[in-house]
Order: sequence, then structure tokens, then C-alpha cells
Amino acid sequence: MSTIQLSRGTFSKKFLTALAVAFLFSTVGSTKAIAGVWAVNVTHDVSESQQQAIILKGTVTDSNGEPVIGASITEKGSPKNGTVTDIDGHFSLKLKPNATLIVSYIGFQKQEVAVNGKTSITVVLKENAELLEEVVVVGYGTQKKENLTGAVSSVDIDKSLKNRPIADVGRGLQGTIPGLSVTVGNGEIGSDPTMKIRGQLASINGTSSPLILLDNVEIPSIQMVNPDDIESISVLKDAAASSIYGAKAAFGVVLITTKKGAKNESVNIQYSTNFSWQNVAKDIKMGGIDALDYTVNAFERVGSSIAGAFWYVTRESYEKSVLWQQKYGGTVKANDPMVYGRDWYVDSSDRKIGVRTYDPYNYMVREWTPSQTQNLSISGKSGKTAYNIGLGYLDQTGMMKPAKHDDFKRYNASLRLSTDINKYLTVKAGMIYSKREKRYAYVTNSTTADPWLYLYRWGPLYPLTTEDGDPIRSPVSEAQQANTASQKYNYTNVNIGATIHLTKDWTVDADFTHASQEFTWNRPGTIYTAKNAWGGAAAKLDANGNRIYVDDSGQVVDASATGAMPAYQLSNVTYTSTGSNPDHIYRNSENMEQETANVYTTYNFKLDENNVFKAMGGINRVTQKTVNNWSQITQLLDISNPQFDLATGTQTAGGQVYWESQLGYYGRLNYALMDKYLFEANLRYDGSSKFPTNLSWRWFPSFSAGWRASEEKFMEWAKPTLSSLKMRGSWGTIGDQTVPNSMYVSTMGVSNTSWLDGSTKFVSVGTPSVVVPSITWQDIETLDLGVDLRMFNNELGVSFDWYQRTTKNMIVAGAAVANTFGTSAPNGNFGELRTRGWELAVDYNHRFSNGIGVNATATLADATTIITKYAPLAVKTVSNTYYEGKRYGDIWGYKTDRLYQYSDFELGSDGKPQLITLTADESAKYAGKKAYKLKTVDGKKPVYQPYLQNSSNFYFGPGDVKFVDLNGDGEINNGSNTTDDHGDLSVIGNSTPRYEYGLRLGADWKGFDCSIFFQGVGKRQIWGSGFLAIPGYNSSDGAMPQTFAGDFWKDDRTDAFYPRAYNQGGSDNTNNMQVQSRYLLDMSYMRIKNMTLGYSLPQDLLKKAAISKARVYIALENFFTFDHLRDLPIDPEAVSGYSMFNSSNYNSGRTGVGTPMFKSVSFGLQLNF
Amino acid sequence: MKKNILTLFSLILIVFSGCSDDVLDRPQLNNEPDTPAFWTQESNLRYYANEYYTSFFPGYNSSWGTDYAPLLGYNFSDNCVNTNVQTNFESSIPSSRSSSAWLQQYAGPSWYFGWIRKSNVFLDRIESYSKSSISTEAYGHWSGIARFFKALEYSRLVATFGDVPYYAKTFSETDYDQMFKDRTPRAEVMDSVYANFKYALDKVRANDGNQYVNKYVVAGFISRWMLFEGTWQKYHSNDQARAKKYLEFARDAAEVVMNSGKYSVSSDFRSLFGSSDLSSNKECILFRNYNKDQGVTHCIASYCNGYESQTSAANLALVKAFICVDGKNWKNSSVAKADSFNLSNLIKTRDPRFEATFWYAPKVQSASLLYSCKFIDREGPTHAADANIPARYASMTNTNAYPVMRLSEVLLNWIEAKAELATLNGVAVTQADIDKSINVIRNRPLDSEAISRGVTKTAPMQLASLPDDPDRDSDVPVLIWEIRRERQMEFVFEHSRLLDIKRWGKLQYMNCTTHPDNLKGIWVNIPQEVPAYLVKAKIGKLQVAKADGTIVTYNGTNASSMVGYYIPEGAKDRISFDDKNYLSPVAKDQIDLYTKRGYNLTQTPLWN
Repeated sequence: MSTIQLSRGTFSKKFLTALAVAFLFSTVGSTKAIAGVWAVNVTHDVSESQQQAIILKGTVTDSNGEPVIGASITEKGSPKNGTVTDIDGHFSLKLKPNATLIVSYIGFQKQEVAVNGKTSITVVLKENAELLEEVVVVGYGTQKKENLTGAVSSVDIDKSLKNRPIADVGRGLQGTIPGLSVTVGNGEIGSDPTMKIRGQLASINGTSSPLILLDNVEIPSIQMVNPDDIESISVLKDAAASSIYGAKAAFGVVLITTKKGAKNESVNIQYSTNFSWQNVAKDIKMGGIDALDYTVNAFERVGSSIAGAFWYVTRESYEKSVLWQQKYGGTVKANDPMVYGRDWYVDSSDRKIGVRTYDPYNYMVREWTPSQTQNLSISGKSGKTAYNIGLGYLDQTGMMKPAKHDDFKRYNASLRLSTDINKYLTVKAGMIYSKREKRYAYVTNSTTADPWLYLYRWGPLYPLTTEDGDPIRSPVSEAQQANTASQKYNYTNVNIGATIHLTKDWTVDADFTHASQEFTWNRPGTIYTAKNAWGGAAAKLDANGNRIYVDDSGQVVDASATGAMPAYQLSNVTYTSTGSNPDHIYRNSENMEQETANVYTTYNFKLDENNVFKAMGGINRVTQKTVNNWSQITQLLDISNPQFDLATGTQTAGGQVYWESQLGYYGRLNYALMDKYLFEANLRYDGSSKFPTNLSWRWFPSFSAGWRASEEKFMEWAKPTLSSLKMRGSWGTIGDQTVPNSMYVSTMGVSNTSWLDGSTKFVSVGTPSVVVPSITWQDIETLDLGVDLRMFNNELGVSFDWYQRTTKNMIVAGAAVANTFGTSAPNGNFGELRTRGWELAVDYNHRFSNGIGVNATATLADATTIITKYAPLAVKTVSNTYYEGKRYGDIWGYKTDRLYQYSDFELGSDGKPQLITLTADESAKYAGKKAYKLKTVDGKKPVYQPYLQNSSNFYFGPGDVKFVDLNGDGEINNGSNTTDDHGDLSVIGNSTPRYEYGLRLGADWKGFDCSIFFQGVGKRQIWGSGFLAIPGYNSSDGAMPQTFAGDFWKDDRTDAFYPRAYNQGGSDNTNNMQVQSRYLLDMSYMRIKNMTLGYSLPQDLLKKAAISKARVYIALENFFTFDHLRDLPIDPEAVSGYSMFNSSNYNSGRTGVGTPMFKSVSFGLQLNF
Repeated sequence: MKKNILTLFSLILIVFSGCSDDVLDRPQLNNEPDTPAFWTQESNLRYYANEYYTSFFPGYNSSWGTDYAPLLGYNFSDNCVNTNVQTNFESSIPSSRSSSAWLQQYAGPSWYFGWIRKSNVFLDRIESYSKSSISTEAYGHWSGIARFFKALEYSRLVATFGDVPYYAKTFSETDYDQMFKDRTPRAEVMDSVYANFKYALDKVRANDGNQYVNKYVVAGFISRWMLFEGTWQKYHSNDQARAKKYLEFARDAAEVVMNSGKYSVSSDFRSLFGSSDLSSNKECILFRNYNKDQGVTHCIASYCNGYESQTSAANLALVKAFICVDGKNWKNSSVAKADSFNLSNLIKTRDPRFEATFWYAPKVQSASLLYSCKFIDREGPTHAADANIPARYASMTNTNAYPVMRLSEVLLNWIEAKAELATLNGVAVTQADIDKSINVIRNRPLDSEAISRGVTKTAPMQLASLPDDPDRDSDVPVLIWEIRRERQMEFVFEHSRLLDIKRWGKLQYMNCTTHPDNLKGIWVNIPQEVPAYLVKAKIGKLQVAKADGTIVTYNGTNASSMVGYYIPEGAKDRISFDDKNYLSPVAKDQIDLYTKRGYNLTQTPLWN
């Protein structure tokens, strides 16, 4: 390459960079915050000259012919004579004609090439699958993968996170690491996924959540990390691996390290962008006309003639709805106004009867909402200074159609610098800034019934459109009128550090990080006005005050016309009475400050080739303090401008302080004997502020060992098929202290009571709590056995782990206390639980001689948790979440036989089952109760189910559920509902995800690449709650999935899956819907999480634009789902009652009713300069 | 250089390890720790006591809550009817019974000892920490407050369960002998309650500020619970000595209120329940305030607003209990049309409390067509037909205050205690006693709306010419029978009826087969008064009972025959019950837990 070309290349590179940056900034729209960091001189000095024998010019490429940038070229025997390849893979080096070159690059096999007097040479490097990931980041250091003895998994960043239009790393990790369970409970944008390592539960009072570290500093949310800034992610799963992180690492560690800058003299600029469009992942098929049919059947069953919530349905109106559908179904559009006479009428008892049906989906869901990400990173090394600058922008739009704003934005900026001051001292500094903002419609502050619930709340008769130009009261109009609430997070992390190289083998690292997060939650309320859809209808009059008459098509007619009926209308009402919710402005402000200091020293000591030691010791100190306060004023003067100064009502305020700290001293010793026998020991002395002073300090040891069997002489025969084989084992304990800090001190809550002196609330102080003053650490003990295998020249790898994790001294309530004690049993270290599981990971990489490369990775893991010690002597009620001996998540229920048919009953002369009063002979336990008389078949006494008739008008008849008399006592009941006496109950399922798996298949050829990623859960069941899961949950309200509405038992549909219609009146587990095997929801699924097709533009084309790499791709995210939910609008990943707004009773715990999960299609571009 | 670095490193190490103790000293800051210092401030004792108020004086309760609330809470009695089968008594032993919510069938608490613990902790802390730092007077007052609430809670527990374990002191979670102690005999518990009440009445301040418990509040509640226990001892335990002891205390405590000169019956009946402010109402000894701006509101008024339904409504038995304005029951009365149970006639001929309690015309919103408007002001029900009912009458945004303890109750407790004492060889009741109590209430002012509807005050009760109700139970003397009736008229849908019939040993009044009036409503002329019911949907369902008991069912063509006592749709008697239903069983889980620990918890009598 000539000098002219070079400088032109440099120039155009600068130009393009500037262009890219400008583009980024214009997209972000806010340059102030990040412009300051953009001051790096992009120069590239490659014109080195050496006055030696000959000048060898060469090119280094990979097996695809793509240039390898930054490959190291040295002369064998004189390592100081060397260079690196430039962006085109070119190099030139002066050397003796007979010299030999050593060409190496990370991820490729090292090659020696004899020059033999040539002046021009092309070196093709062979990729090395194993070497690519040979170094793994572990606690306070790195370790060669082959020497790992603990249970550590690392993530292939390129494959897991690139190409995917996902907002956060957590979602990207789903299915990629065996034993890391990632649950995305709903589609709420800006929310964190739930991450658990090895089982769902490790401590009842603790968090059970892994410690997420970004460059050794705990971060409050995985949302704040820009996936593009990440260099590596390691997941530390056993005590031996994670214990070095001490007190907060008891449930595993997700270790994220960010890009630190280049290792070689270079400048790399990367720009990537992605535009995606999102839509609901699973069709929301709600019942229309068929749901009315269900409601009619349900009320007729109990002898009623009408049902409804605000909007009633009768047999007659149902027939009208069917006709309406035929007549107007095609012509009346969703947003056409509601018309009296045609769409509804008022009956003689002044009830509103609905005829037209509405599908909430049309009004609530915005389809194909756009999102985008923009990322720019510049990294490089100049002299002794390495740097990395990362800028990122994410803009996601949510799907709530009526909301003024429903979106999530994130801005990221990061800077990393390190410079070698002299040969002893390297100084590092960094800064991470992350701003997140979520906006949504502030409809109500109730998280137990948010607008999404109303997609499924009321039946199809509930009008969601307008009447006479005014909106009708509904979640739709309420969201339309709502002002926009926002949650903002500003996270800043400033980090300084130094590495001191005392000797070649002895270093000291010290770093200090100050992180702060500001959180504000603004909730500007409003006053809501709409047509009263809940109350009675009013007479509709014309301008002269005369009654308007209409016909059955809604046309105004003369009062005397045939079919004329007096018209009604809804009245326009302001629902928000002065000062009541949400006529207020509310703001919550929280400040979190965290200081983390680490000082540690590492010493490498090589006794001889066969005895290699590494010792590490240090201190870790973390302090954290969170302060928040909120205030609210009611009665807004101007609902279009809600402000504190413009609110005139009652002022309320409050606030809290949380603080905690941990201090730990730790040490680690590694010993490698003959590179075959590996040993590691960790010891940590931990202190925590959570426990009383005399109990706050504890020692926690852990040990691990490995044996690289493949390196033994006697294994020589297996080579080269067997590339490597290692067995490992570890044991260790870690202390957990993720419990509230008030557990050892008796305290009293202070609150305002609702007892008033005039308008002042009395302040009250509660009864002091009962505590066990000796409460201390929970001990997490892990035993792990693993084997790592690599075969066929490292192309195939298999890794397997079996583990047992025991939580000893688990903090739970003590021995059951009698009610006479007056409060619940105090917590103490009384419990124990045990999780056992296994993990399997397989990877495969192969490149065929024709250039086609294929790769595959697969993960599979399982875990079960048993509570081995819990409140002694407590009654083991099977419906309790915890009792001694319980497998966590087990669901007790009845075993379903089938649905009863007419043939099961003694029919009367009217052809109907006969209601009898049971005699002691028919039911010893429930004599005197009523039931339909069953036939005696084959002389066997029929089993009646009166115990399960929980409503006064419910008797088991044809079409109802027949249960199995498991214990054969001639009755169906739950005994005393305990493990000792559970009647006909048995364990019918388990709600924890079992057999979680992921499978990624990829291939590439001549610039094209494609991959597909499957993720799933092999086994998980839940007993659902609410409209979507329980047929007839509230058939009077009327909303139900089409699955129920179209497949319930009727006289003319006796082979239906769901039982005969009955209004459960809001109950999840009574009458036909006892917790049972037949209607247990099978939540196992397989999802094609990602499909990507990419194309990297040919090199020669790019060269002219000074681009080293350009790739375009299209990706489908979450596009195909395979589940066993019979078309119910429940996402198989849904977690009942969980959302970022309410983690335990979101939307009253009803299944599947949260923000819909979404899929997306996206287009992306990646450029490297 | 190297030396500098090492120095720096050592320095860092020293700094880190040096501050270790401070770093870990981070107690929680959001709750008040239970330290001796806390209990030395009298204001803190006040805060601690404030937690009792809403639980022991729930008034209309708050938000959608209905525990211990009139109308919606207290509707399990012989005075209420609902459609279909009447609410059944408890028939089996529950598996668990531990929540802090109430038990409606016993109008009392669950097997919950949190309040007992609170009081015992209170007494312990006052004794250990407060005594030395507050005045003797304050010490007496706060000890009295703690004892008062402890006695109140034991009174409720005993009324619900009979014998209950009595705890004089707190105990630790490892003190099994205390925790798994069997029930203390009722008499023993109530003797302690008696002692605590005595102390409280003696020591609690006569005035401790607005809305705080004072001597008169204490006296009022003593009269309520000592009357309860005195009559219980008389009618159930046959322990004459204790009956006398408690009744005398009920009488004496009532006299503390009566003789104070602070209280008088001076407002009309409806104002007691519908006013937003009762601070100037001289009849109120304690009331509960509500305030919209503070978000402290209730829902009881909304169920009296004429729009919301009353699924449990007043029955004919209650209507028949109301005396006519001449002071005699309907069978003895000489008032014209005293035997007519048509609503328009009832309004004019009955004691004024009838008109103040009920809407003047049959209303379909009531299960019995007799709709109660007692707990709302006069304006409230006029909005029933409005599209938009004002917030103070709708939903759970109601703000009218409730008289938690009022003079009229104290007077009725007093006169009943006196009358019962007379049967226990005590002094006979005199006309002067009647004039001081029942006749004061009968002379309560009438409001203008009542007057406009033709309501007049009931004639004073004359001891010399007491009417002898032909329907009187033969075991109840005439005077006591009329005193009980007075309570029935005064406390419709309030706290007393279920507990009254229990203490009198009259739970059988709840049997609707032997008391068929329980399942009927007022006399109605359906075609004239409720034409809306003459529709297809009501065929086969709408029923009235003629005076002779014949039942007429609407068949679509017999509209003109639909005149008679209205029968709430499908109304049927409850499943038979027996004497075990006087007291609640304890849950099985508690008995099992005792057994597992090697102790015994005796089940409530008759519940095995």
C-alpha cells in the first residue's frame, strides 16, 4: 500500500467517523451530555521504518480471505523486531531473507512461516475455536479456561447479544447459560427480567437473586447497561467461584466487564444501528358472540334470565347480537359511534342491554410500534494510553394505543482510560452514565387493576367507542385523557484505579467507585370526564325537550312509526370528584449512593515448570445508602398543566432511608501441579451491617480441584479425537445477608391512623415486634461436580455439572406459635432448604473446506428445591407455599376423571337429572347435602361430590367435572388438607420452570450468515387465576377467551373440553374449577427467540470507502411460539401477579392479563472503520 | 518510586481496616426501636394508645370495610331478612381462625390475641420505664387506658368464645406453659375485666382532649359490657352473685355519665347518624369523624342512598316490634289503624324512630321493600335518581360521622341493669327511673321533615300502666320486655341486637320457622306501590302473604291479588341451629398445635 492511499484512507475514515457521530447525535437529540467526551484524535501511524536487509510486504487473512487487523508479526529469534497488520491486513517488515516469521492473533492458531527470500507473502491464519474464549474473567482476575476448577460459564457476546433488538443484557442471556434462569414475566418496556442462578428459591427471606457486577461494582439494574459496551460476561455459579465476592454473592454472580480499549496501537470505530417494529407475540383471541352464549348458558343454568356488569345480556338480546353480527358486522367499524336502538336498548327495569360487541384489542393495542437503537464506540490505543468510548441510544415504543406516551428511552455514555505512567504503575479511570426514562399513561395509581387488565375485564358488550361525539367511560377513554407519568433514572458511576506492577509476577490493584442513582417518579394526575357507562341511561331529548324516538337500526323516526321506541343516551359525567384519585400531582424522588472499594494483590509464583502458584488477597468494602421522599397535593387547578404550585388541596408527604454496608477480607490460592492437577482455595472473612454487632463477622471457606485427565500419558491413545478432558469438583460456603436489617431489633411502626380530630389524623405507634436477637448469617453451601470435554480438534465441546446447594441456618419464622402469642413467630436461623440440579452445555464449530462454517450451542438445565427444615410442628397445610418436606412449587389438586354426561345420572320423567338429599348410605360424610342422583354402574356405589359444591346453586350435573376418588373412600374431599391427611388431593404439578433449554444454530458462507435461537422450558405448570385461566371466572362480567367460549359443554356439544357454563363469581378454585389436573395450565414452551440473516459486504467493495467491515441483517425476535395453552391469550412466559409496578399482586394476581409480550422484526447495520 | 507505591498501598490498607466498625454500624432508621427512652415521654404513650381507636371504635369503619359497621356489618340477626336462604349459622369447626378480622356471626373478634399482647406490653413498659418519669396522675391515666382496652378486648373475646386463656403479662415465644395455656374460666376472666374496668374508671382523666378516651367513654363501655356479662351470668350461668356484681357496676358506671351533667338527648334521631360533625351533639360521648381531604371516608351512607341495594333488610318481626305513638305495642294500642302494616300508615303511627330509620315508600332496592335510610342525612336519598350522586352519598366517599357511644345507650343500659337487679332482690324500678331514662329518649326532638310527615313523639312510658304484650315471652317480665323493645327500636342495624338476644338466651328468635315474621316484609299493594314488579320475569317468583298466612304467587294475571305482606324473593329459613351457636368454636389447627406441644386446648362446649 502506498503512502498516498494510506493518508486518503485515514482521511476518509475520519470523515466517515464524523458523519457517524453526527448522525448519532442528531438521533439522540441531546448532545450536551455526551459531546464532551468526543475529543479523540483519530490518527493512525503505520509508517514505521527499519533499516535492515530486505523489506517483506505481506497480507494476513483468515480462512475466508478477510483481512486480519492487528495480527502480530515477529521475527523468530528476535522478538523485538515486529509489527502489526493494518486495517487491510497488510504489513511490512525489514528482516533477513532467511528469517522465519511468527504470526499470531487472538482466536487464531499461531503460525510460523519461513520467508525464504520472498518480498511478498500472504499468510492465512486458522481459527481456533477453543482459543477464542480461552481466558475467562473470574472474581478479581482472569483464569485460563482450561485451568478453571469452579462452575463458571462465559457468554459468547457476539452470538448472544449482537444482532438482537433487545433492550437489555438480561433478555439476551435467556437460554444461553445453563443454570441461569431468566424470566420475562410480561411485555412492560423498561422492566428488568427476573434472573435466578440454579433454582428459583435459595432463601425465603433473602432475595435469591444473583449479584450483578459491572466491572466489580454492583449495579442496581441490568437495564442500565448498554449491551454494546460489554466485552465479556461470566456467570459464577458455585460457592468456589463466587465466594470471593462475599456477602452479596451467595446466589451466584453475573460478572460483566466493559470494553477497556485496544491492546495494540490502533483505532477502531464501530457503529451499529437497528430499527425494529413490535407487535403482540401471541394473538389475543377474546370471545365475542360465543362469550355471550356462555353467559346466557351460565345464568339459565341457575334459573336466572339476565346477567351483566353495567351492560346486560338476556336470551333475547343474545339472539339480537347474533343478528347484529350478520347485519352490521361487516359495515360498522370499531370506532363508529354507539347508536341507541341498533347497538343497545333499555329494558323495562331500566337496565342497559347490549347488542353490539366490541373487541378491546382494536382499541387498546397499537400494532407494529417502532423502536430503534444506535450505538457508536471508539476504542484504541495510542502510545501507553488505551481508551474506549461508548455511546448508545435506545428508544422503544410500547403498545398502549390510547396513551399519549408509552415509551422507554435509554442514553448511555461510557469512557475508559488507562495509561502506563511508568513500568510500575498503570492508572485507570472510567465513567459510566446511563439515563433511563419510561413514560406511560397515568390512569390510576392502582397496580392491582391497570388498563391492560381491562383488555380482559369486561365482556364484549362493554362499549369502547363514543356516543354523540363524547368518549364513553372505559379504560380506553381514561387512558386517552390521562396525563403522562414518568420514571427517570440517572445513573453515574465514576471509577478510578491503579495497578502497581511491583515485580513481573506481583501486582497490586486498587480501585474505588462512586456510583449514584437518582430516581424520580412523576405522576401528574387529571380529572376524568366521559359518558357514564356504569350508571343508568337517561332519556334522549331533542333541542325542544321532546323525546326522540328511534327504530331498531338507530334511525330517528316519528313516535307513531312502527317499531318506534323512545331513545336513551348515557349522561356525560366527570368521574373524578374534587381531590379524589387521580386529581393530584405526585412526585417521588430517590437518591442512591454507593461506594465500592477494592484493594487486592496478586502474586504469581513458579517454583518450577511443574509447580505453579498464584496467590491473591484483598479487601472489599461496600457502603450503600438510599434516601427517598415523596409528596402529593390534590385538587389540580388546570388539568392540562398539573403543577405543585397549581394544586390547592391536601398536601401529604413521606420518605424513608435505607442503608447497609459490607466489609470483607479475602484470599485465594491457586496451585497447578504439572498442569494436570489443579487446586484452588478461597477464604473470606465477612462483616455485614445486617446483624447484631457480635454476630456480624464470619469466616467462609471454599475449595475446588480439577484434573486434566487428557494430559495424562495414559490418555495419549485418545488423541487427537479427544482434545481435552477435565474433571472438577468444588465445595464451599458463602454467607448470605440479603435480609432486612431490622430483624434483630424490636421496632414499632409509626403511622397515621384514620382516627381524626376534626381534620387531623392521629399518629400511632404499633406494638413492638418480637425478634430473636441472635439472628445471623444464612450459610449457602455448594457442592459441585463437573466435567469438561472437548473433542475433534476442539470442534465439539461438552460441559456437565451436577450440584447441590444447601441453605443452612435459613432465616424463617420459628416454631409455630399459638394464636394466644398475639403475633407471628419471630424469624430466626431455623430453616434449611436444598436445591439439586444439573447443567449441560454443548458447543460445536466446524468449517468445511468449501468455506461454509457451521456452529451450534445448546444448553439444558434442571433444578429442584426442597424445604428440608421449616417451622417445626406447624400444620403442614398442602396449600401453603412452604412446609417442611415440600418441593418448592408443588401444586396439590384433584385428579380429574372426565366430564359427567347425561348417561351418568338417573334421569326423571322430564329427562333431567333428579336432585336428591343424600342419605348416609350414599355419602357417609355429607349426608343431608343435595346432589343429582347418579346411576349405579356394575353394582358399584357411585361417588358423590357434595364437598366440592361450594355455591348454593351449584350441583354436579351433566357437563360438570367428575373427579377421581384417589383414596377410594367413597367421598371426594381434601381430608384435612394436610400432608398427613390430604384426602383425594395429590401433587399434580410444579410451578417452577424445569428443563430450561436454549439451542442456537448458525452458519456462514461468503459473507452471508444466519442463525436461529430456540429457547424454552420443558416443564412448568400453574393453576391460573382470573378471566383467562378459569372458565366462567366471572361470566356475568362476561369477558373470556374464545377458547372457553367456543368449547364449553352444552347439550349439543358433549365432547367439549371445558365444563358446562357456570358463573364462578370471581373464584379460582371452587365447584367445577377445583384445582385439578385437567385444567392445570401447561406453561412449557419453545420459542424461536431470534432468527437472523446477515450479509457482510465484500472487502474490496468496502475498501474504497475505508470501511473495514459492513454488515446488514434482518432479525425476527420472539416470532414463533410453540406452547400447550390451547390458544388461550396467555403467554407461556407470563408470571401471574408480577410486574415492575407491583411484584406480588399486579393486576390482582390474575394470569396473563399484564402488558402483552411482544415480538419484533428488525433491520440492522453494523459498520467498522 | 517503588517505595512510594508501597507506602501508598499500606496507607490504603490502614484506612480501610481502621474504619471497619463504623462502616458496619448501620441500624435501620425507618421504625422506632423499642428502647426505654421511648417510653419516658408521655406523648409517646399517647401515640401508642392511638392505635387502638379505629379497631375498638370502628364507627362506620372506613373505605369499603364493614367489620363492626352498622347496616352492612351488623345484619346477622332476627331483625333482618334477605332473599333466598337466610345466612346459616356456623355448623362445623373451622380449620383455622386466626385473622384479625371479625366474626360476623358472633359480632366479635376472631381467635386473635394481638390486642391483648399490645395491652400487656403497654402495661409492662409503663411499669418498667414510664412510671419513674411521668407524673402519678399520668401514670394512673395511661395504666387506666391500657387496662381499659385490655378489658374491652377480653369482653369481646369472652362474648365470642366464652372461656379464653387469660394473660396478665406478656411472655416470650419459648414460654410454652403460657402460650399453650388452656382456657381460663369465663368468670375468672370477667372478674379480671371487672378489676381492670374499675381501675380505668377510677384513673382515666375526665378530659384528655378532643376525640381521646376519657372517663365518660370508659364509663359508657363499662355499662355496655357489664350489662352484657351480668345478664349472661343470669341467663346462662345462673351465677346470681356475679350477675349482681356486674349489673351493679353497669348501673354505677352509667350513673357516672348520667350524673356528669355533660350529656343530654337534645338532637333529633337522624342527626345522630347523618351529620358530618357531631362535636356539638350533646348526646355523643364519643364519635368517629370522617374527612374527605384526609382520605378517611366510609361506604355505609351509600348503602342508604336509595340507589344502592340493601340485600339484607328489615323484616316484619322488627316492624311489629315498634310501638305506636301511644306507647303501646300494635296489639295493645288504641291508635287508629295500629294493625295496619302498610308503610304510609306505619310512618305516622309508630314511634318516631321508625320514620327516621326507614324510607317512606316501598323501594325495590330493598330485599324486603322496606329500605333503611338511617345512616345518611335527610338530603342523601333525594339524589337517588340523579345521574351523578354526590360523592358524600356514593361509593366509599361518605363522610357522615358515627356516634360510637351515645347517652341513649347508657340510659338503656342503666335502666335494664336496674330492672334486672330488681329481679335479683334489688331495689324496684321507679317511675322516676323511667323518666330519667326511657322517657328522656322518647322525648327526643323531631326534625321538620318528620313533623311534615305527621310523625309525633311517643307518649312517655308509665310504670303503672305498662302494656302487656300478648306476644311477650312468658319468662320475661313486662317491664324488661318493654325495655328490650326500646333497645330494639333504638339500635336497628347497630351493634346490639345479635349480642342482646345471645345474652338473654333468646337465640331461637333467629329460627324463622317458629318466627315466620322474620321472612316477611311490610304490607304492600304491589299494583299500586310497586308496579315495576308486575313483569314477566317475576312470574312464579313474586309472592305476598295474606293476613291469614295464605301465600299468593304472581302468575302474570293475578296482579290485583298481589296485596299482602311482601315475601322477599325465595326467602327460606336457615338450616336449624342449636345452643352451640351461642359461642364460637376454636379452630382445629390451634387444638392440633397444642396437642403436638403436649398441651390441651379445650374446645368450646357443644362443639365436638
